[in-house]
Amino acid sequence: MSDKSTSLVQGTLYMLILKTLALEPMHGYGIGVRLEQISRGVFQVNAGSLFPALRRLERDGLIKGEWRVTENNRRAKYYAATAAGRRKLERETEDWEVQTRAIARILRATPSEQ
Amino acid sequence: MWWPWRRRDPRIADELRFHRESLIDDYIAAGMDRAEATRRAFLKLGNLAHLEEDVRDVRGRWLEDLSRDLRYAFRTLRRSPGFSIIAVLSFALGIGANVAIFSLVSAVMLRSLPVRAPHRLVQITRLLEGHPGQVSYPLFAQFRDQIKSISGAFANASVTEAALIDGQEDFVTAELVTAGYYQVLGLEPAAGRLLGPADLQPSSTPGVVISDGYWQRRFGRSPTVLGKPVTLRDRAFTIVGVTPPSFLGVRPGQPPDLTVPLIDSLMSDAQRRATDFNWLRVLARLAPGATVTQANAEAQVIFGAFVESQAAHASEKDRPGILGQRAGAFRAPDGFNVLRDNISQPLMILMGIVGLILLLACVNLSGLLLARAEMRQREISIRLAIGAGRGRLVRQFLTESLVLASAGALIGLLSANWVSAWLFRMFVNGRSFNLSVSPDWRVFVFTAAIAIISCVVAGLTPALRAVRANVNPALKEVRAQGQGRFGRGLVVTQLAISMVLVVAATLFVGTLLALNAVDRGFDPEGLLVVRVRSAQPYSAARAPVVQQALRDRLASLPGVATASASQMLPLTGGLWDRGVQVEGYLFQPGEPDHVGFNVIAPAYFSTLATPLLAGREFDERDTAASLKVAIVNESFARHFFRNQSAIGRHVTSVGVTCEIVGVVADAKYQDLRSDIMKTMYIPWTQREGDQPARYSYVVRTVSGDPQRLSPTVERLVGDVDSGLHLATATDYDTIVNRAMSTERIMAALGGFFGLLAIVVAGLGVFGVLAFQVARRTNELGVRMALGASPTAMVGLVLRDVAAMVGAGVTIGTVGALAATGLVRNILFGLTATDPRVFLVAAIAMASAALLAAWLPARRAARVDPVVALRHE
Repeated sequence: MSDKSTSLVQGTLYMLILKTLALEPMHGYGIGVRLEQISRGVFQVNAGSLFPALRRLERDGLIKGEWRVTENNRRAKYYAATAAGRRKLERETEDWEVQTRAIARILRATPSEQ
Repeated sequence: MWWPWRRRDPRIADELRFHRESLIDDYIAAGMDRAEATRRAFLKLGNLAHLEEDVRDVRGRWLEDLSRDLRYAFRTLRRSPGFSIIAVLSFALGIGANVAIFSLVSAVMLRSLPVRAPHRLVQITRLLEGHPGQVSYPLFAQFRDQIKSISGAFANASVTEAALIDGQEDFVTAELVTAGYYQVLGLEPAAGRLLGPADLQPSSTPGVVISDGYWQRRFGRSPTVLGKPVTLRDRAFTIVGVTPPSFLGVRPGQPPDLTVPLIDSLMSDAQRRATDFNWLRVLARLAPGATVTQANAEAQVIFGAFVESQAAHASEKDRPGILGQRAGAFRAPDGFNVLRDNISQPLMILMGIVGLILLLACVNLSGLLLARAEMRQREISIRLAIGAGRGRLVRQFLTESLVLASAGALIGLLSANWVSAWLFRMFVNGRSFNLSVSPDWRVFVFTAAIAIISCVVAGLTPALRAVRANVNPALKEVRAQGQGRFGRGLVVTQLAISMVLVVAATLFVGTLLALNAVDRGFDPEGLLVVRVRSAQPYSAARAPVVQQALRDRLASLPGVATASASQMLPLTGGLWDRGVQVEGYLFQPGEPDHVGFNVIAPAYFSTLATPLLAGREFDERDTAASLKVAIVNESFARHFFRNQSAIGRHVTSVGVTCEIVGVVADAKYQDLRSDIMKTMYIPWTQREGDQPARYSYVVRTVSGDPQRLSPTVERLVGDVDSGLHLATATDYDTIVNRAMSTERIMAALGGFFGLLAIVVAGLGVFGVLAFQVARRTNELGVRMALGASPTAMVGLVLRDVAAMVGAGVTIGTVGALAATGLVRNILFGLTATDPRVFLVAAIAMASAALLAAWLPARRAARVDPVVALRHE
């Protein structure tokens, strides 16, 4: 199920997950819920994208997983951002902001502004 | 890294299950009942197992991927055992052959002495036709003292004789060394101390150093060995030290048991003073900052002055010879490596041959892998359709090839050990060389490298071609066509490589046959060569008595026709030479006046079966007091006397004039390839000089294996004199074979690999033809239905074969012509571009291809049009 059309979004997804975990460690389900919450329903991450992404981030050493017991007495794997993950998040956020400002300028350009 | 990954695996399922349950909880919290919530959750998430696969497939660390690929590879290969076995054996043969030869190359050519900075060691020596020779003691002293670019030098001579060690007589190999031996080498003792300047003082009892091997063999590594007495040539020594186990002397293959300081009393006057008695080898260490070039230049200058002064004291006739000598200094990190000088060229040629065999095996395997990939098209298409990356699949296939190559490499490595030991024994053929050829680190690295290279060469192209498969079946036909062309290209490559190998095989076999056919000038069959030694040398008076008694006793043994003796026997390395004056012959200025010289017993020529052309052999008439006589060979007579009879003419040598009483046929004394020397023989009773000479005894047996007589001879030797022992008893056939040992090995191995190559190429041809015929069954059926005869069908197949063989043979011929320059100087009786050789090779290839084509051709002829037309 490697969906090519989401490959661009996949890169962004890593950034979003990292940000979420940088704020607070949580398990996979929680991340999905939080992202939906904060984005006000724009991003509904399905499990098929979320878990491979978590796996990738963990393998690259950007997040760290740990099995814990939840409030409901179930065992769940909690992830937290590592120092490397935070550094990567910083860089990605910077790049992202540069890109968005540039795109915004282009999109708002009127014929008079050359 | 491994185990945590395996443990994490089942936890993915747990994690996903938790996700689903949390979803269910949220749905319930939003107001659904459990059943509805569960249904929704299942719908939303889909198949958890599928999700798990996705997660697991995430590209992780290469090691984990590799382990997964490996396990899949093992599973797949296990399912086709026939293919796997053939593939592994092909790799094993190709890689094993390469490892075996490389083991020898590593042992003989690549090792350095286990001393300090071996690359700073240089050998300084006289050069005989470019090969290192030996030097005299005065010359060594000059080199040692006058060459500034060296910080130290030593001279070394090796002897094998009886010595009294701790009261027991032992036959040992001893190295006589000058001062500074261990210092120049830079060695530390394993026990006791090493030789130093004190051991060369005449006052004290000098010490000797024993090798670790001898310490183990003779003393069982007992610590009490230090201080034990040693008597060599009636001089007393004491054991003072043991060298480390890794040090095996400075002559690879000839490890000494004892290292003895070269004190004055161990040298004869001639050995110490004569400038033309060359019996030592010299090794030196470069001074810090000096280069080999400097040392070489200095050596040549000093040698130039040395021979000038030598020539000034010599006769007019000898001067050109003396002044024509050459010397030099060159790197010698492996000491005095006679082995390398002798067998490095055949070894390199063999490396080329087995390299080609490996290439052939890889190309052949490529074809096999291609055919196999063809059969797995369904699997490949499905995997591509569900999203597997092409790179991933290629990696998978390469992993399979790697497993096959590694298995083959392992088998090859294990068997190579045995093969290289056997091959080494063949090369030295009875001469005592003691060298370990078991794999060292270089061999292991080499094995790993060629395993990986063969894996890539054999497996990469089939892997790439296999995944080029388009999922669209309509395009399959086009691809199959291309596959056929590629397959035939592989076969042509195999044919070309085989052609080169067959040409090489023909050249080597031809060389051996030509060498074997050379007229040796004597008959080795039924001859036994007896060599003796004595613990104590005999006096000048006693020696001839013992020698003649031995000869008489040998001659009177039952089963013996005649027996004789001589200083030099044919095919054992040459003759002495002497300057002569011949009655009635005037030497041209600059013409060498040296002839071959041998001292023989009566009945020598009849024992050897060298024909007597005129006159008589030596016999009892020829004593020390009677007329001095000589026998000459054909070449001598022809050169000095033209058509006239040599009998009755006179020859003078070292002041003694002899009358020629016989002429014998030429015989090969040096080796089979060299030209015959003009030779004169004198009876052993008339030999001048006080020192007793050493003779080899030769016995002609009446029938059967000459070796049968060995035990009898051994007893007889002891009977003649109590101090006399049998050293060796060899039948002459073995000696003749030794003279041809390299040629025999090259012919045997070349022939074996040539045959192997033909078989492999033939199989390749067969495979491709069978495939083509099967694929074109339809077309052939149509043709036959339209009236073509079976012969025409066969013709189609044969045209195919002819095209492939023609291309292969042509390319192979070009390759062989390019490469044969490398083997030029080990050939005999043939040139490297002899057209007969190429013709023979081409015929062999064509015959093999025809044989391979027989079955497919028969099948093509037997195609039933009705069946074929129904076969889609």
